[in-house]
Amino acid sequence: MDYGIEQRDQEAAVRLRGRLTFNDHAKLRALIGEMKQNKAKRQVLDLSSLEFVDSAGIGMLLIAREEMVAATKELVLRGAVGQVKRVLTVAQIGKIVTIED
Amino acid sequence: MVVQTPPPRTRFAALHGLAMADDRLARCATWLGLPSRRGKRDSGPTLALLDGPQGATEAAAWLPPITAWIEPTAGDDAQPSLTLLTTRAGSVDLYINVTTQTANNLHLAERILNALAARHPLPQDRREDLELALHEAISNALVHGNLEVAGMKELSAAELERFSRDLVQQMANPILSQRRLEVAVTLEATAMAVEVADEGNGFQPTPMDCHGASGRGLNLIATVADSIELQDGGRRIRMRFAL
Repeated sequence: MDYGIEQRDQEAAVRLRGRLTFNDHAKLRALIGEMKQNKAKRQVLDLSSLEFVDSAGIGMLLIAREEMVAATKELVLRGAVGQVKRVLTVAQIGKIVTIED
Repeated sequence: MVVQTPPPRTRFAALHGLAMADDRLARCATWLGLPSRRGKRDSGPTLALLDGPQGATEAAAWLPPITAWIEPTAGDDAQPSLTLLTTRAGSVDLYINVTTQTANNLHLAERILNALAARHPLPQDRREDLELALHEAISNALVHGNLEVAGMKELSAAELERFSRDLVQQMANPILSQRRLEVAVTLEATAMAVEVADEGNGFQPTPMDCHGASGRGLNLIATVADSIELQDGGRRIRMRFAL
């Protein structure tokens, strides 16, 4: 998985690309650190270029959400398609994190 | 791991070395009584021998006529174990037996789906769902089984750090990273059975145990598979899928 962060006025848009699995633990640690440090109150994870996510990847997204709550920031998951969208639905992640199309 | 050897389904016609030294490949060919047919693609069912992930990253390494992928042990006991694994490989339609390190480097589930799709066309959605189920079973076997790393129990960056540190540390342990992972696929007309086995300490599943950042893997498999059965104290999972 790779990511790029685009800083706007009120929100930071983070585009995730490729496959998000348990092997991406180091990248997720770095990403969560960057999201905590930037000034935007609203952190949007753009999942439209993410091709695959596993259960550990979902777990890491939930950790990101908890860390944003602790930093009084909002986390939004946006634009999931295909397998990623199906897993988010099956795991009922919408009950915990804001999901936008 | 407990290895059963039902009657043969696959009779190997040849060996194919994937980045394996010539002399080692020749030795294995003698042991197994199979010709080594490097480069030829028109032979019958072929057993690929690996020496680490090198050579197995090419797409062609996961396409017919190769039906089995075995990474022989390096020690003096290589012959009996290779013979046993080859018999096991012959009892199913697709068979993989590699070290934890190699399995992790190869992103095995994606490779297996390539091998499967070459034999049984699958709609994109179904293919992705099957890949997820296989990936979850394989990563459970690697991470929690062979590497003995506990899942992320709490939703915190500290727990993610602990998971990250444990995973790197355990993978660097030569004993744990050389533990084997086995995947055996039996194809039927409209279904397939997949077994994934590890050499860890096993585990007692607690159904619907889905706290914190971990524990969703088996539940995700259950949404894709027709049935799941845990065997050998949790070291082996047997899954059945409609095709």
